[in-house]
Amino acid sequence: MRLSHLSLTYFRNYARLELNLPPGVIVLYGNNAQGKTSLLEAVYYLATSRALHATSDRQLINWLAKDDPIPHARLVGEAETQQGKKRIELTLLTEKTARGSRLKKEIRINGISRRVMDLLGHMTVVLFLPQDLALVEGSPSLRRRYLNITLCQTDPDYCRAVNQYEKVLSQRNALLRQFQEQGGRGDRSLLTFWDEQLAQHGATVVAGRYRFIRELEREAREIQRDLSGEHETLRLRYQPGFDAAAATDGQMSFDVADMGVSTLPQLPPKEITKRFVAALHACVSRDIARGMTTIGPQRDELRLLVNGHDLGLYGSRGQNRTGVLALKLAELAWMREKTGEWPILLLDEVAAELDHYRRSYLLERIGQAEQVILTTTEPDLLPAETLVDATRWRVTDGTIDTALAS
Amino acid sequence: MAQAVPASVTRLIDEFSRLPGIGPKTAARLTYFLLRAPDDQALGLADALHDLKERITYCSICANLTEQDPCPVCSDEKRDQGLVCVVEEPLNVIAIERTGHYRGVYHVLHGAINPIEGIGPDQLRIKELVDRVASRPVREVIIATNVSLEGDATAMYIYNKLHGAIRVTRLARGLSVGSDLEYADSLTLAGALEGRQEMQE
Ligand SMILES: Nc1ncnc2c1ncn2[C@@H]1O[C@H](COP(=O)(O)OP(=O)(O)O)[C@@H](O)[C@H]1O
Ligand SMILES: [Mg+2]
Ligand SMILES: [Zn+2]
Repeated sequence: MRLSHLSLTYFRNYARLELNLPPGVIVLYGNNAQGKTSLLEAVYYLATSRALHATSDRQLINWLAKDDPIPHARLVGEAETQQGKKRIELTLLTEKTARGSRLKKEIRINGISRRVMDLLGHMTVVLFLPQDLALVEGSPSLRRRYLNITLCQTDPDYCRAVNQYEKVLSQRNALLRQFQEQGGRGDRSLLTFWDEQLAQHGATVVAGRYRFIRELEREAREIQRDLSGEHETLRLRYQPGFDAAAATDGQMSFDVADMGVSTLPQLPPKEITKRFVAALHACVSRDIARGMTTIGPQRDELRLLVNGHDLGLYGSRGQNRTGVLALKLAELAWMREKTGEWPILLLDEVAAELDHYRRSYLLERIGQAEQVILTTTEPDLLPAETLVDATRWRVTDGTIDTALAS
Repeated sequence: MAQAVPASVTRLIDEFSRLPGIGPKTAARLTYFLLRAPDDQALGLADALHDLKERITYCSICANLTEQDPCPVCSDEKRDQGLVCVVEEPLNVIAIERTGHYRGVYHVLHGAINPIEGIGPDQLRIKELVDRVASRPVREVIIATNVSLEGDATAMYIYNKLHGAIRVTRLARGLSVGSDLEYADSLTLAGALEGRQEMQE
């Protein structure tokens, strides 16, 4: 699939932009702080309704818009996909309320007003960022965010479940805090509803993540082999915050770190739900004492292992770079398999981040993509093969010069 | 310090700003509008507000807002007092009345279970409902709480309190009449699929 038109109003440092995009490779070059990454972010936002990194959506609205009566940013993308043309319109509004202001997202797909959740899957993207290294080296919450965003793009059931799960979790935690404040007293039967909801949606989340990680590992392992000259075997280890496989009714092991490789087999979701409920019952006293839910996918962890060693703990910079690249390329292969077409590829500063060999490997693997948008401060670092047929646009202070093509 | 705006004007602006959905700008606009409006319009509003607080009480049977106790619905002998529809808010009663198809009576909870907001069963009129079912000839309770996590939590709680004693039903969830599948959002569609029914002649 590819993006054929992009229109931005008050998005980051773009006050106004109308852009027709050709297929193939588009190279956005220019100095730092001109708006290259912001353009990738705009495309990413249209696909996922998420900002890069976990920044708040508010920061996306251009500073100039602050003085408007209703400060807003607007993004419109037209994509050509195997399912036909899609027009995605996204408006971010800050609404004034009695207690300050709140942000509202309005979404239209082919003119029809939709929920945020229904946006996902219309336009698929895979994004390569210099900061991806944090996927290996950073905190577990980054990896959970990664799992959610990637899975949500292709699996609406997962997306629904993960959204519901988060809502139920905050309600259950609020209830636990009430019990905690009352010194453990209170009507515990009030937990029943939230326990069941948590377990039901949690089971879908866990099953989805398990399946995804297993499929991802198959691809990633091969890529790591290639990249390391057959020296390195990559494994993805899923450590669920509630391991239904290790748990039997009523009794379970709590210490994720000690469990090692999860053996979660393909348990039917009903069975996972049942065991999850039982586990929630078993640890209710501890949950009340801490005022929060201590088991479940909100504590899931995904580790990358090379030749049996945990990259997050023992990996060299180089190994970690290779691991992340393998993971992202595996995601790309997975996405293609799920959707039956190339996602739009967004590559931020890969030339600076990757060494010559990894860079060539990456660009070769994506050589057949329908559309690649990549940014660089130094276009000369890109291989000649990539530049030959590429569209080259210079980005300067929130404007894109398309006249200087190639 | 001399005040540029008289105190009674700022007071009304402040009062308006405390209402849901009204920011300081709207509050000021409303205030100046009333200031310039004819006396009977502004004082009519004041009267209406006064009456609202003076005259309106809760019905001792169904907890709906009313000027007389029991409310007109609970006092209506032509209505089926054995059929009780449980709703979250008084506005929901108006919605069901508009169908013109319901001949039973109501029970208004004044909210839904929502731990984040600190609302549990004790903050709602649930105990009153349980007492009502025990002390009056109620055959069936129809739970018509909203289709949301909180509405579902409330429905489940009430169901657990009442089932066994009497028949407890819940409104069906599904597509709205005249709606095109293409326009339905995925959550509604999923609910309609889940709640599908055997076709009948
Ligand atoms: N909401 C915003 N309004 C206006 N400018 C912004 C906003 N958010 C970020 N910027 C600015 O936009 C510029 C472009 O950033 P970026 O896209 O990361 O540049 P590049 O990738 O070309 O180095 C930066 O100078 C940044 O400070
Ligand atoms: Mg940049
Ligand atoms: Zn009444």
